Amino acid sequence: MSVKLDASNSLDAEALRRFLALHEGSCEGSFVRIGGVRALAKELEISEREAMCALLDAGFWPERFRRSRSVLSAEGLKRLLRSRVFVAGCGGLGGHVAALLARSGVGAFVLCDPDVFDESNLNRQMFCTEAALSRPKSEVCREGLLSMASHLDVQAHALAADAENLPGLMAGCSAVADGLDSVPKKVMLEEAAARAGLPFVHGSVNREEGFAFIEAAGGRRLAAMWPDAGDGDEAFGASPDTVASSAAGVACLMASLLVRALAKGEVRDSALLHLDCSVPELERFEF
Amino acid sequence: MSVLVKLSTTLRDCVPGYDPVAGMEVDVSMHGELSAEGLAAVIGIPRAEIKIVMVNGRQSALSTVLRDGDRVAYFPAVGGG
Repeated sequence: MSVKLDASNSLDAEALRRFLALHEGSCEGSFVRIGGVRALAKELEISEREAMCALLDAGFWPERFRRSRSVLSAEGLKRLLRSRVFVAGCGGLGGHVAALLARSGVGAFVLCDPDVFDESNLNRQMFCTEAALSRPKSEVCREGLLSMASHLDVQAHALAADAENLPGLMAGCSAVADGLDSVPKKVMLEEAAARAGLPFVHGSVNREEGFAFIEAAGGRRLAAMWPDAGDGDEAFGASPDTVASSAAGVACLMASLLVRALAKGEVRDSALLHLDCSVPELERFEF
Repeated sequence: MSVLVKLSTTLRDCVPGYDPVAGMEVDVSMHGELSAEGLAAVIGIPRAEIKIVMVNGRQSALSTVLRDGDRVAYFPAVGGG
């Protein structure tokens, strides 16, 4: 037997239930496992992400997101699955952010980082393992994401983001996540996101502390926050020491802000969040 | 008149023994009218290392005149990723 999308791109729930019954172990009640998602994607000749969206429309729920069900609506999860996030920098922040977004349901990524992993990254960077040393961060990050969620669409670019290439890298994306490693680069990224009309989620770390905020498309609050960053002051360009807890903690704030916005389909400017893992405490600043 | 000072990351190196949990309660009565920049000089934080000042949870200019009970947080550049 087969299932077909109707004119409104939805599935008949009964026909779908009969289809899944033919694939043993593919579902439990309304929860559909990876095998069921893959079978449906193959049957309908659509991506696994779109198969999950079709299942959600028909009242089913992907098993992999079972524990997110009380937090996300079906509409919210569909929005996430159809989102594409540009992650600039795949180090301490970017790797954790991408992993958290992928686990939350974001369906596609564009990753960008010019560096390879080195031993000093092992103290905090999500996808840095001893086996990954000397390998390109963007590619290792891509492999890591696909190993946790094979339905993802992930493009990896081993290059440095700059004002020239950012418009092309951001094309087709839903939002921009800032994992770059200096204030001037971050301000450049914000400017590119504003020009592209994309929401921007910022993160930055130094030692055991860090900042995070999100802003709606067109925002330039990071540039306003660091008005002297373009003056060539070396302090803004330095790569500070950073530990695992602040990198992962700030990435967690970034991912929470972005998942909430993408799932709602609405981005509102947040306060500036300051995480201090040395206390630890979380403060909200107005700026 | 006293203010509560909070120092971030590298600025803590300027004040030996700084306690990040408590911050620093600083009595500035003897200094008369004092700005955030003036307070930084009193406690020994070099002006060039201060990139952001938050007074009572809001980003503020270094020239902001402080009042009794204010909470003043100084930050260096925070740009790691």
